[in-house]
Order: sequence, then C-alpha cells, then structure tokens
Amino acid sequence: MMTEQTPPVVPHGMIKTGARVFLVPGWVLALAILLKGYADIGDGFAAGVIAALVVVLQGIAFGAEELERIWVARMAPVMSLIGLLLAYTVAFVPTFFGYPILTHFPRMNHHVIHFGPLEFITPVVFDIAVFLVVYGFCVGAMLTLARAEVRHQRVLQRLRRQTGKRGNP
Amino acid sequence: MNTAMLLLLVAFAAPILALVAGAIQPRLAPSAAMLGVAATAAVVVWSFWQPDSSHKTTWASIYGMNVELTLDGLGRLYALLATGIGFFVVAYASRYIPLHLHHQQRPLSHQTRFYFFLLLFMAAMVGLVMAQDLILLFMFWDLTAIASFFLIGYDQQEEESRSAAMMALMVTGITAVLVLIGSIMLYTEYGTFSLPAIIESGEILGASDWALLLIAIGALAKSAQTPLHFWLPRAMAAPTPVSAYLHSAAMVAAGVFLIGRFYPLMKEIDWLLDIFLFVGFSSMLVGGIIALTRNVLKQILAYSTISQYGYVVFMFGMGGSYGIKGASFYVLAHAIVKSALFLTAGAVSEATGKKNLSDIGGLRRKMPMLAIGSGFAAAGLVALPLTIGFFKDEIFFARAVELGQPYMTMDVLGASLTFAYIFRFWTHVFLGREITEAKPISGWLVWPVFSLGIITILGGVWPEPFTKIAEGAASVTAYSAQHLDVHYTFDPIPENMMAVATWTLGLTIYLTRRKWWRLATGIAHLGEKIGPAHWYYKGLNGLNALSDSVHDYEVRDLRSRVVSILVPAGVLVAIAVVITPNANSFEIGSFEQQDFTLVIMLVAVVVSGFVVMLLRDHLRLAIGLSCVGYSLAGVWAFMGAPNVTLVAVVVETILSLFFIGMLVLMPSTILRFETQAEGDRRSMPRDAIIATIAGLLVFFVSWGALSRTSWNTEVIESQTVLTTAVHARNVVTAILADFRGFDTMGEITVIAITLIGIISLLRSGRLR
Repeated sequence: MMTEQTPPVVPHGMIKTGARVFLVPGWVLALAILLKGYADIGDGFAAGVIAALVVVLQGIAFGAEELERIWVARMAPVMSLIGLLLAYTVAFVPTFFGYPILTHFPRMNHHVIHFGPLEFITPVVFDIAVFLVVYGFCVGAMLTLARAEVRHQRVLQRLRRQTGKRGNP
Repeated sequence: MNTAMLLLLVAFAAPILALVAGAIQPRLAPSAAMLGVAATAAVVVWSFWQPDSSHKTTWASIYGMNVELTLDGLGRLYALLATGIGFFVVAYASRYIPLHLHHQQRPLSHQTRFYFFLLLFMAAMVGLVMAQDLILLFMFWDLTAIASFFLIGYDQQEEESRSAAMMALMVTGITAVLVLIGSIMLYTEYGTFSLPAIIESGEILGASDWALLLIAIGALAKSAQTPLHFWLPRAMAAPTPVSAYLHSAAMVAAGVFLIGRFYPLMKEIDWLLDIFLFVGFSSMLVGGIIALTRNVLKQILAYSTISQYGYVVFMFGMGGSYGIKGASFYVLAHAIVKSALFLTAGAVSEATGKKNLSDIGGLRRKMPMLAIGSGFAAAGLVALPLTIGFFKDEIFFARAVELGQPYMTMDVLGASLTFAYIFRFWTHVFLGREITEAKPISGWLVWPVFSLGIITILGGVWPEPFTKIAEGAASVTAYSAQHLDVHYTFDPIPENMMAVATWTLGLTIYLTRRKWWRLATGIAHLGEKIGPAHWYYKGLNGLNALSDSVHDYEVRDLRSRVVSILVPAGVLVAIAVVITPNANSFEIGSFEQQDFTLVIMLVAVVVSGFVVMLLRDHLRLAIGLSCVGYSLAGVWAFMGAPNVTLVAVVVETILSLFFIGMLVLMPSTILRFETQAEGDRRSMPRDAIIATIAGLLVFFVSWGALSRTSWNTEVIESQTVLTTAVHARNVVTAILADFRGFDTMGEITVIAITLIGIISLLRSGRLR
C-alpha cells in the first residue's frame, strides 16, 4: 500500500531481468500445455493463467505503462471476447447440421490427423477458446486495475499541484 | 439452393454488406445498403414466378426444433413490402440522413449504424415471414424488436428518442414473451413446433385458444392497436425514414402478418374474432379522432397508422373470404401510400424547417412534384377512384355488406375519419397561402415519394398484379385457394354508395371542424391523462422506485450487502443440507497408511487458516489466504491429481495478484483505519456466535458432500474408456472440453461477463 510516507517501491533489477527472461519461455510453456492438453496434463484453463502470469509479471516489473506497450496485454479484453465467440462457434455450429449442441468432430473412433502430440480435433479448438477467455480475463482485469491506479495517481498529482501541499483527499 | 434459403441468405448479407462498406468509408454505406436491399427485393420479385419453396434443417431435434422456412403467398406479400418499400426508404435516406446528422452536429460515420439496423430489420422481417417453426418465428420476431429499438433510438443523444425506443421495446418486447409462451403452449398441446403441422391437424386442442390469445396480444401490440397503441406516436421521435419504414410497411405490418399466419387456427375461435372486431374498431376510432386533432405532421400520420391497422384487424374480425382478402390487400395498399406520406412529411420539414401543420402551407408552387406524388398517395389513402386505395375500401365494404347494417355503419364511420384527417393534412400542406418559405431540396427526397404516388395510381388502373399478390397471401391465411377480382362499376351497388357516403361524411367532418374541435381535443387530452400511456409511465416509475430502494438497501454498507446476499444464500444451503437424504453422508472413513502424507498437508492448511485469523494488515492477509490455497494445492498433489494441482497453483497466484492489485486501489487512509481499529469488545460474543454458526454450516456442507460415496465407478470407467475413443489421453481435459463441455461453456461465459463488469465498473469511476 503506497502512502505518502513510503517512497514508491522500485522493482529490483533481478525482477526486471527475471520478468524479461521468463516472458518467452512462459508463453512457450503455456502454449505447450494448451496444445498437448488433450494428450497430457494441462488444459486451456491452466495455460491461460500461466500465459497471463508472465504478462502480468512485465507489468509488475516495469510498471503499468509497459502493459500498454505489449500488444497481447493491450488486446486482452478483446481476446477474451474472441475466445467466447470461438467457443460458441464450436458449440452451436453443429446444431445447424442437426447434431446436438457441442458435438465434436471428428466423431468417435474416426481417424484424426496428428502433428506430434497435437491433434486436429474440435475439442482442441474449444480448449483454445477457453485459453483465450481465461487469459483475456486475467490480463484484462489486471490491466484495468493498473489503468485505474494510474488515473488515480494522476488525479492525486493534479490535486497536490492545485492545493500546493501534499495531501490525501 | 432453393428460393427460401437464398432469400434468407441475401437478406442477412445486406446489413453485413452495409456495415463493412461503412467501416471502410462511411460514404459507401448508402450505396451498399441500396445494393443489398435491391438484391433482396429482386429475389422476392423473382420468387413470384417460382413455386412455393420450403427449406427444412433439423436444428435441436430433441426439442423438436427445426429451421423450417417456407416462402408462400403470405410470405411473399410481406417480404415484398419489407424490401420494396425498404428500397424507396433507403434511397430517400441516402440524402436525408446526412442532412439529419448535419443538423445534429454528428459525424457522417454515424450513418453506418442506421443502415445496418434498418437492413437488419428488413432481414429479420424476411426471416419472420418465412419462418414456419414457432421458435424460429419468435427469434425473428424478437430480432425485429431489437432492431427497431436501435432505429427508434437513433438520435441517442436526445432523451425523447431514448425513452421512445425504450417504450417501443417494452411494449413489443414484453408482448413478444407472450408470443413465446403461446408457442410453447401450442407445443405442449400438439407436440410440435411446426406451424403447418399444427394447422393441418385442423382442430383447437385443449388450451390452445388461450395460447392463440397470447399470440394475438403480441401481434396487436406490434401493430399498435388500442390499448397498446401509445408507443407508436412517441416512436415518431425517430428520423423520418425510420418512421416511414417501420410504421408503414414493416414493424406494424409484422403484427397483422402474425395474425394472418395463425389465422387458420384463430378463425375457429369466435370470441377471439370478437376481440379483433372490438380492438380493430376502437383503434379505428381512437386513431382517427386523435389524428384529426394533431398538429405535428408525423403525429397525424402515426395516429393514422393506428387507425389504418385497426381496419385490418377489424377485417380479420369480420372474417369470411372478403375479410381475409381485404386484409391482405389493405396491408399492401396502405404500405405504399403511407410510406409516401411519411416521406412527404420528412421532405416538407426538411424544406421549411417546420414540423407543425399550422406553420406550413401553400407548398404546391415550390414543390410541385412532391405535391403531385403525395397527392396521389393521399387520394389512395382516402380511397378515391383510379387509385389502389379505392379497391382496398371496396373489399372492406363488401364484407360489411355481407354482414349487415351495423358493420356498414362502422366501416363508413372509420373511413370518413380517414378522409377528414388526410384531407386536412394534404390541403394544409400544399394548398392555401405559403406560410413558411421553402428552400429547395434534393431530388432524392422527392422521387421516392413521386414513384410511390405513381404506383398508387398504377394500382388503381391496373389492379391485377396487386390483387394477385393479395390472393396469394389470402390463400395462406384462409387455408384455402382464394380468388380476388376487382373492377369499377358505375351501378349503385351498396359498396359504391358507401364510398360516396364516406367522402361526403368525411368532407362534412372536415368542414365542420370548428364545431367538434374542442370535443375531439378533449378526448385526446383525456386519453393522455388516464390512458394506457399514463399507466405505462406509472408502472415504469414504480418499478424504478422499487429497484432503487432494493439497490439502496443492498449497497448502503458492507453489512447490508452481506445480509442481503450471504444470509439468504446460507439459509438456502442450510435448508438443502437438512432436506437432502443423508444416508451415506457424515461418515468417517478408514485411515490407511498412505493417507499420512495427506494429513500432514491438511494440517498445513489448517495452520495457515488459523494464522489468517490473527492477521490484521491487509497485505499479510492476502498472502496468508494464498498460503491456504497453496497448501490445498499440495493436498491435491498428494491425492494424485496433477491437473487440479496445476490449476490450483496458477489460480492461487493470479488471485493473490488480483487481491494486491485491488488493495493498491483502495484509499490508504481507509486501509490504515481498518487495520488499526480496535474491535468493539461488547459485540465480540455476538460475532463469535455468528462466525461459529457460519463455520459449522460450511463444515457440515463440505463433510456431507465429500463423505457421500459418489465414486460411481461405472461412470469413471466408461469415461476412461471413452477418453481414448474421443481421441484424448487425458481424462480431465476430455471431461472439460467434451463430456461436460456445456458446463465449461457456461463457466467461460461467466468469466467473460465478469471481465466486462470489472472494466465497466473501473472505467466509469463508480468504485473511486
């Protein structure tokens, strides 16, 4: 909690370095968990949170403005909505062809195209949608909190300039 | 691909086309919209030379829902209105909307939205008139209500527009729910949502008459019939093209369309037809009398629409072959002339800058083409010979002659009111001396009116194409082949005598207006004071007040919030625990050696739980809580559930970050105050009792739920077997994405909605 007595906390250099170093491996880990989730431990949910954590770490290490600079952070709320639409697409499109809602393809025991552990099946698309929604939520909510805090600080600064003294309105 | 499906695709491509074109360059939106409407209209026109075409796709078969579309005679008539009149309106709007936006100092880019929703409305209307499945019908029905909400509220910066849009949505939206309820009632009686199948059964089963009444109420509200007519005059707050489209050819027509669609069933219920007679006649009178007293151009036309659709409903009430044919023909003729008159009102207001009849006069010299075009249309509405309107009244009268004297009197009375107010409208605008100078206006505001006027005359001299269209529609409505033949005769047959009586009486009403003026305005005034609109506002304000008081109580302080949410929830859970059979619950299982590590982790959970109780500083509290979560993740790990452990760890981390993020946002003075505040010693016993009760409740709920042997091995085995069959090797993921995918979909929807909530709360600054 930042008060006027305590100076703002400047993140240690190690945090900054760590944040940068972990960014790409973190995403690779998240994508791996996501894509092979159907064959191994993990799923879109966990992958989404992990991907969000490494992005949020950038914000913690470098400040809220850094989040604005990173495209995948700025677009997080949009990605969340895209994910939701993707999930609905997977869910509802089969209904147009007479299948029950959320029928997955290829159907049971049919042939599936593989690429390593990655399978080209609609549950994986659904999982990607879950990933997008969860990632978008985590980063989007943190981004919104950060923006609100930045706005708050600006208001405080302006008030201080106006009253000419330091005060907490 | 058959015609029905082609029409639906083309119709729904039109709004998207306009949206995309408008996004690229706002100036392109009108042309794209015109192209879209023209293409849809072309398909409709082409379909007149095609046999009836049906399309049926199974949709949700377990509920018996299908995408069932049929383009029949009735569908063609209303699709032609929606697209044909739509074309003229869009052409007119291409000049009108930029001027409108300019007056309001809004950017040109706002026009894209106008075309999108106008064409969306058209597409919904096209879908509606083809839908044969009751649920599909309801969906298109509701889509028209949504599109009309945005169209009526197009001038969103004006309070009047917003409240008008809200009112239209409330009246047509709430009654749309009645349509849905009626449809479901029909389903329970007939076991199918397919309307043709229901009609084919040929009888009214059980409570279907009440279902049809609900559907009829929805239809009458949409057609602005008394007592649910009050939304229409207020909807005139919309720009003129919207009024011309929605309130002459599309939205109000949807109501009588619905009656026409269900008429094979409705005609079997005598009391329902009596309701139509009563509602139709009272709408004719109320609309006609109030239209006589209005001064604003569009208000006159709005009340006129109420009255004219009253005719149609009245004809459905009279029934019989002429009643049905008359209703179809009337809708067609009325849409042509009324849209021309609405567009005239817009053009006149644009030229003079005035909206009131008393400020406008003698425009025939400055705007001769407009005067001629709208003169034809006005002549059509008052049913002068050589216009399409003459025949609409002839059929109307013909049915009344069959039924006898009282009906003939009612017909003539209603028609002469129409004559009087339209005569007043047109002569005041175009004849007499010029009151306000008119500045020249674009030809695009005139030629649609002129063309519609020419069509009115064309229908008067060559009615066959129009009667053919009406015949097709009437055959569907009557559920038997109908033949409509109209021609002029100079014999003193009753219909002709009634027409002459109408003109005479109408002219008399107009000429003696000083005598009844105060009476008519008095009636209109009384209607505003104690009429349905008054009750609408009263009801709306009451609901608002109720919602405010509940909200005020809930958000007063933290305690009232907890009381209003957690206490009812807790009580419900407690009741559930008590009434749930607990044969196998609350058992203490056996303790094996391999459970030892698990117990150690659980001790860690308990310890961190107790530590949290002792902490006061918020940051430490947040970290303490996450310790509880991490220890629980450890428990999962020892239970051999790696998926759950992974999720628990990452979720715990991000939750802690959220916690801290929110603490940063809170004013530090309040946090410090809360941390340092000494608890009130006197309330400590009470707090302890509440905490103990709550804790025990949660304990028993968890114990009861967890000790129940729900390890249904069959399900586990079958899901494990199925996991490989659905191409997965991880049973948890297969459950999440496949077996229980519907749950997951609900959950991610909640997550996305929560995000929208967070963003809107923090953006609007309500939290700060």
